[in-house]
Amino acid sequence: MSSDMKFDQGLTLPEILSGNDLKIMLLPEKVRYSLRIKPSDIAAVNKASGLKLPRKIGGSNLGKDQFVMCLGPDEWFVVANVDARDRLEKIFAKLEKSFTLSITDVSHRNICFGLMGADAVKAVNIGCPLDLSLEHFPVGKVTRTVFESAPIILTRTGEDNFGIECWRSFAPYIRGFFERYATDKAAA
Amino acid sequence: MFLIHCPHCQEDRPEIEFAYAGEAHIVRPGPEQQDAMSDAEWSEFMFIRDNVRGEHCERWWHANGCNMFFNAVRNTVSDKFIKTYKIGHKRPSASQIQKWKDAANG
Ligand SMILES: [Zn+2]
Repeated sequence: MSSDMKFDQGLTLPEILSGNDLKIMLLPEKVRYSLRIKPSDIAAVNKASGLKLPRKIGGSNLGKDQFVMCLGPDEWFVVANVDARDRLEKIFAKLEKSFTLSITDVSHRNICFGLMGADAVKAVNIGCPLDLSLEHFPVGKVTRTVFESAPIILTRTGEDNFGIECWRSFAPYIRGFFERYATDKAAA
Repeated sequence: MFLIHCPHCQEDRPEIEFAYAGEAHIVRPGPEQQDAMSDAEWSEFMFIRDNVRGEHCERWWHANGCNMFFNAVRNTVSDKFIKTYKIGHKRPSASQIQKWKDAANG
């Protein structure tokens, strides 16, 4: 596959809400990989790949062009810029030779909404029941959870900066939810 | 909000992320054992559960979280979780459960 391919994200509107205290948008297309690795192999995999996979569930490492996160004891998720695809696939091909693991390209499966601004915590909490105080959900924490009952991966890349990563099939539903929220916010 | 402590995530998480997965500590017979079992024994294994009124050891699944199964002691009358623990730990004894309850009540 060439790295200039465009993914059909299933949505077109990039910007859903743009205000001083809250911006919600569909983030640009990314490549995504789901990794299942034996926890006992993780140090060796990190050494061989340079991926910096975090060990702790909920941990993440945000790099220049890639974002790696630990979702479960043996499950990692890699989100990267489209032009990092060739580099990553080379790394994965190498890993597959030396380790028993599973690496699945799920680029087409997910999309990500970005929420930015002072009201971002409030907006996330409307659909997600997690405690988002910095004490319990610090910057850099990620987790699989639910948003309005839809399965998502929630990421916090800044105090007022969240990502809601969901399956493409749930995207129109979540976008619709944010659109209604934007309408209500404008009316209030 | 109803919170459940996930022993893998090591934090309290909202109940909506979890799914109940039946009674815990039921050993599945191996293939040879299954061949030797009568229909009555098989149906006993498949369908018959203790249906405890009170403290019950049961499996839970952190489906919208770390995706791991774990075990819990939950009171089926009060719906209160006494303890959650990783699969592989032995079924807690009555005195162990009492100790956990005492610790929770300070
Ligand atoms: Zn968990």
